[in-house]
Amino acid sequence: MTTSTALPPAPAGPRPKKQVPHNVKTSRRAAWIFAPSLLVSFLFVYVFIGITVYISLSNWKIGTSPNLALRQPFGGTYAEIVQEQRFQADIRNVVIFTIIFLVLAILGGLIAALFIHHVSVGKGLFRTVFLLPYALSFIVTGVAWRWIFAPSTGVNEILRSMGIENPPGWTTDTTILGALNDPSGTDFLKVQFGIPVALLPIIFAAAWQLVGFAMAMYLAGLASIPEEHLEAANVDGANVWQRLRYIVLPQLWPSTITCFVLLLHVALKIFDLVVAMSGSGPGFVTDVPGIYIYNYLTSRYDKASAMAIILLLLTLVVIVPYLVRGYRKERKA
Amino acid sequence: MRAPNKLRISLAVTAAASLIAVTGCSANAPAGSSTGGGSDKLEITSWWTSGSEADALNVLIDGVKKSSPGLSVDNAAVSGGGGANARQALAARLQAGSPPDAWQVHPAGQLKSYVDGGQVADLTDLWTEGNWASQMPKDVAEAQQVDGKYYTVPIGVHRGNVLWTNPSVLSKANVKIDPAAGVDGLISSLKQVQASGTTPVCLGDKDIFASAQLLESLIMSRAGADNWTKLFTNEYSFDAPEVKQALADYKAILSLANKDHSAITWDEAAKKMADGDCAVNLMGDWAYGELLNAGKKPGQDFAWVSFPGKEDIFDYVGDGFSIPANNIPHAEAARTWVKTLMDPKIQTEFAAKKGSIPAVTSADISGLSAYQQEAAKSLASGAVVSSLAHAQAAGAEFAQTYADAVSTFNGSSNIDAFIASMTQAQKTQL
Repeated sequence: MTTSTALPPAPAGPRPKKQVPHNVKTSRRAAWIFAPSLLVSFLFVYVFIGITVYISLSNWKIGTSPNLALRQPFGGTYAEIVQEQRFQADIRNVVIFTIIFLVLAILGGLIAALFIHHVSVGKGLFRTVFLLPYALSFIVTGVAWRWIFAPSTGVNEILRSMGIENPPGWTTDTTILGALNDPSGTDFLKVQFGIPVALLPIIFAAAWQLVGFAMAMYLAGLASIPEEHLEAANVDGANVWQRLRYIVLPQLWPSTITCFVLLLHVALKIFDLVVAMSGSGPGFVTDVPGIYIYNYLTSRYDKASAMAIILLLLTLVVIVPYLVRGYRKERKA
Repeated sequence: MRAPNKLRISLAVTAAASLIAVTGCSANAPAGSSTGGGSDKLEITSWWTSGSEADALNVLIDGVKKSSPGLSVDNAAVSGGGGANARQALAARLQAGSPPDAWQVHPAGQLKSYVDGGQVADLTDLWTEGNWASQMPKDVAEAQQVDGKYYTVPIGVHRGNVLWTNPSVLSKANVKIDPAAGVDGLISSLKQVQASGTTPVCLGDKDIFASAQLLESLIMSRAGADNWTKLFTNEYSFDAPEVKQALADYKAILSLANKDHSAITWDEAAKKMADGDCAVNLMGDWAYGELLNAGKKPGQDFAWVSFPGKEDIFDYVGDGFSIPANNIPHAEAARTWVKTLMDPKIQTEFAAKKGSIPAVTSADISGLSAYQQEAAKSLASGAVVSSLAHAQAAGAEFAQTYADAVSTFNGSSNIDAFIASMTQAQKTQL
């Protein structure tokens, strides 16, 4: 740091960025700097994914006694689990959970951010209030939400005192909203596809917790919108809605994409909140792949691994297009 | 200034992250086992962490310390999930080749998965030396074996099929539950309770084992002890009319239970029963200790009958300990531990704290509670069968399939679907 004092005084105004010359020496140095993290991520991510794929195709049942022979017929474990009522319920639940959760959390975050950005008093207070739940663990909030949605206590006490005779059963309700089919229970399709009512309180709790995160992303996005754009629109006579629709929202699009990707994996991997709030539920109405994996870890290692791979594929279906898009953009630039 | 600062921050973050990774990994290493090597140490794992359980475990620890003075005992208990978390932690240690000196295990089915993996030591020589098999009911001794060899020792016996009742609710409805009247008698009594305006059954199956245990009690009562055991050797099918009847009974009892059963846990359900919210609650006798802890008085706030059925069936849920076959850190101390557990005096003291029954029939039970004395009588005279809900009657995979089938049934009440998945499991998993 002492060298900086020897430099000539900086010119006034914004300092031009100094370009580090890109040559063989610097790129080799970069390679050295990246090598450890590359090695670690290769070993602990990609090699382990490979091992998990192999286990899911093997005969390894009991976690503590490895059996690495490949299962015959090939991929039999996958063929086995797709027929299970529990598996089908899990896939339905995780898809429904992800869609509703993303909509609630992202919309909630956007509204909270717009509100905070425009209030003149108590900005810091509101920001903290919205962001605080994000700092808590799902287990902690899950226990509190479990009490709130317990059918015999919690919010139902209030409903009963208001004269509602039969308040909802919340996480114990086995109703499927908008059911698309009526399975006999012994055919291939064993679950009713639709929106499980029992899942809604859990989605609400998860969205409540992550609204603060989405809000923080949007606040950063809002801060980066140049004042000039809004002023120009004002001069042109655009009303509040038009400014939001044509100036603000388009410029918040990158924040939305980031929120979407980061919240998506929270939704797909959800485990602790469900365990604390309801467990698997009657007929697996609130079961998710994470609980499935945990339950089968000691009794069927191959099945747990297969479910983990399916979960990974679910994530990749959405993440890969995002990465490809980012990569293409970078190359264009 | 800006760039070096950034570098420094990122270095600090990297260092912190790698520190977390390193400490995270080392958390799996057994405390104290790497430094030891001497025989003056013993590390045991279990899932006994609640008040009464921890007290009971301390009886055993004090006992082994008495028989080998100077021994330091490391109690590596892991709480939660009815033992599931402890078993996950144990599995990780077994895979890493650094087992504890002894670990808690349920006999029969659960024991078999460790035997199949070659992880537990054969204790047959100790059994012959101590002549232990002659000191306990035949069924209990058999549950400690796999293929004719003993791999574990039983410290206590729990009963899974006890119907806990609330005397004042029953007398208000003018109902008496007679075990000899069978399941039909039970259901008609429960309907009478419903007519009196009280919820007949308290159930808490947020953890599905509570439902799985209720259904297994019904199947046992309808099919009988012999057929129950034959379900797991594939000599009797889940497709049998008695099993179908039991499922119909189960459906009827579910409709008589509290509507929020999937939202509450087994212990909350037991307390609700003692509070008078309903008339009966089926649970293992670990509920007894839970109710005492909650300040409920036996005979007054709650009473009990064995689950109604044709014969007196004792649904056995066992506690015991095994020692590792390989890489055992302190072999001598582990064998002393096993011998200590089989001391009748220790078994009595343990039972007094834990609420279970001594496995050894020569243990003195005169000082135990009225419930325990009654259960001990049933154990000696009744038909003893292993519980499936606790992965004892069959291996972990079959037990998990059963638990899943019960969960599915709780949502759909579809008897055919239940039978289809269980008969399929009988064909492929036994």
